[in-house]
Amino acid sequence: MNYRDVYIIGVGMTKIYKKAPVTADELGRQAIHTAVKDAGISPKEIQSIFIGEMGGLSGSVCFGQRVCGTLGLGGVPMANVESACSSGAIAVHLAYKDVATGKSDVAMGIGVQHLSSSRAAGTGLAPDPRDPEGIQGATMAGIYAMRAQRYLHEFDATPTDLALVSVKNRRHAAMNPYSSYQQPITVEEVLSARTIADPLTMLMCCPNADGGAAVIVATKEKALQLGSKLVRIAASSLTSGIFRNDFRDMTEMEITIRCTKKAYDMAGVGPDDINMVECHDAFAIGEFLYYEAMGFCKHGEAGHFIRSGGPDYGGKVVFSPRGGLLSCGHPTGCTGAAQIVEATWQLRGDAGARQVPDCKAAITHVTGGGVYGLDNAACTMHILTR
Amino acid sequence: MEEQVIYHPDFFVIPEGGEKPYLIAFRCEECGKTWFPILPYCPNCWSEKFDKRELRKGKLYTYTIMYTPQKGIKPPLAFGYIDFPEEGVRVGAQIEVGADVEKIKEQIKIGMEMEVKAGVIREDASGKDVISYKFTPAV
Repeated sequence: MNYRDVYIIGVGMTKIYKKAPVTADELGRQAIHTAVKDAGISPKEIQSIFIGEMGGLSGSVCFGQRVCGTLGLGGVPMANVESACSSGAIAVHLAYKDVATGKSDVAMGIGVQHLSSSRAAGTGLAPDPRDPEGIQGATMAGIYAMRAQRYLHEFDATPTDLALVSVKNRRHAAMNPYSSYQQPITVEEVLSARTIADPLTMLMCCPNADGGAAVIVATKEKALQLGSKLVRIAASSLTSGIFRNDFRDMTEMEITIRCTKKAYDMAGVGPDDINMVECHDAFAIGEFLYYEAMGFCKHGEAGHFIRSGGPDYGGKVVFSPRGGLLSCGHPTGCTGAAQIVEATWQLRGDAGARQVPDCKAAITHVTGGGVYGLDNAACTMHILTR
Repeated sequence: MEEQVIYHPDFFVIPEGGEKPYLIAFRCEECGKTWFPILPYCPNCWSEKFDKRELRKGKLYTYTIMYTPQKGIKPPLAFGYIDFPEEGVRVGAQIEVGADVEKIKEQIKIGMEMEVKAGVIREDASGKDVISYKFTPAV
C-alpha cells in the first residue's frame, strides 16, 4: 500500500502545571483551541480525533467526547486511547495513520492528564497490585532504580553521572516557560535529595503534573495550502512489550531498541541525522539508557556521553531541550503529545531561548505502562523533519 | 492473633514439618520454556501442559531499597530480582536481611546467593497481613 506523507499543521499546549487551575476537560479544550488557531483552519475541518488519557484518571468515560463536545467537534470518528504514559503519543500516531492511509485529510491527536486531582495524586505510580511484582510492593521508581543499580554495577558510571541528567534538564527548563520547575539545581542538591529508591533520589524522579497538548496533522496539499512552515512526520512507530520472565538484560531498553529501529528505517535516517530528542526521562536512568538505545553512544558508554556534554547544546544531540519530564513534570497521558508540540516548535525555529540551532530532525519517544513480564507495555516514537 | 491471608498458594509452598519453603515454576512440555508464576497457556507455543520445577536458591541480579513504597508497606523496603540459572527463570520479590534495617544496604550485594522464605509482605486493603514468598541471603 502507498502511504501519503503526513505533515503537522497545528500544535497547542497548556503550561505543564504542578496543580492546574482548571479541570482536565478544560486543559484539553485550551490545547485544542490553541492548535486549531495555530493551524489556521476551521474546527469543522478536522475529520477524525483521538484523545489519550491514562487509565481513566480524569474520572470520565469517553473523555474525548467530553472535552470535544462543547467545542463543536462532534460528528466525526473519535476514539479514546489508553496506554499509560504513551497515551498522548499513540493518539497522535492514530491521527497520523488516518491521514497516511487516506481515511482523513485532517486529523487530530490530543493528550491530557490532570494527576493532581486524580486518585494517583501524591503517590508514586506502581504496577497493578494483581501483578506478582505489584503485590510484592514494586513501584515504577523501584523498577527503574533496579535498572540503575545493575547499570552502575556493570559499567563505568556513578550516581553523579545520573545527577548530571537532572541538572542538565533543569538548566534547559529554565528557558522553557511551559515547565513546572525552572529553578537551577546542582549535582550536590540532586545527590543529597531524599532517596526514593536507591540510587534514585527525588530529583532523579519526575514529578506528577497536569497538562494538555494537541497536534493537528494533514496531507501535504493541505499544509501547503495553509502556508505553514512544513514539519513532516517522517516516522510514527508504535510497538508493545513482549512477555518474558527469563534473564532480560535490564541495562538495555529492549522495547525502545526495537521501536527505534522501526522509526529509523521508516524515516530513512540514523542517529547522526538527529538534532534533538524528547525522551521518556521519567527517571534519570531512563534518559541515560536511551542515549544507548537510540544509538547516540555505545552500550555502557552513557556515563562518558553525559560527562563529555554529548546530549547537551553544543554536543552531538540535544536531549530534552524543554527540560524533560524531570523538570517539566509528567502529566502522564499528555506527555507524548507535549513532546511532539515541542519538537514542532523546534523544527519551525520558534523555540525561543531554548532553540536547538538549525534543528532539522527531531525524535520524540515515550514508553508506557509497568506490566509484569514486559520491558514496558508500550513504546511510541516519532521522527519529525523539516 | 490477627487474621492472615496467604497469597499465591498455587505456586508458593510452605511444607509442613519445618522444611524450607519453595516456589514452583512451570516448564512447558512442548517447547521447554519455563514460566513463573503459573500461566494458563505457554506464551511461546500455547501448550497447556507443564512440568513443575522447584525454585529454592538463586542469585541476585539487581535490587533496590525503596523509601517510598506502596501503601500498606513500611519503608525501607528491599526488593530484588533473583535468577534461577538451571530453570531459566527470574523472580522479583521482597528481600529480608535481618532486623537492622538501617544497615540494609551493606547486607545486599549483586550476585549473592538468595533463598526463598515465607513472611508478611504487606497489609491488604482491609488491614490483614498478607503472607507470601520473600528472599533472604542463603545459609
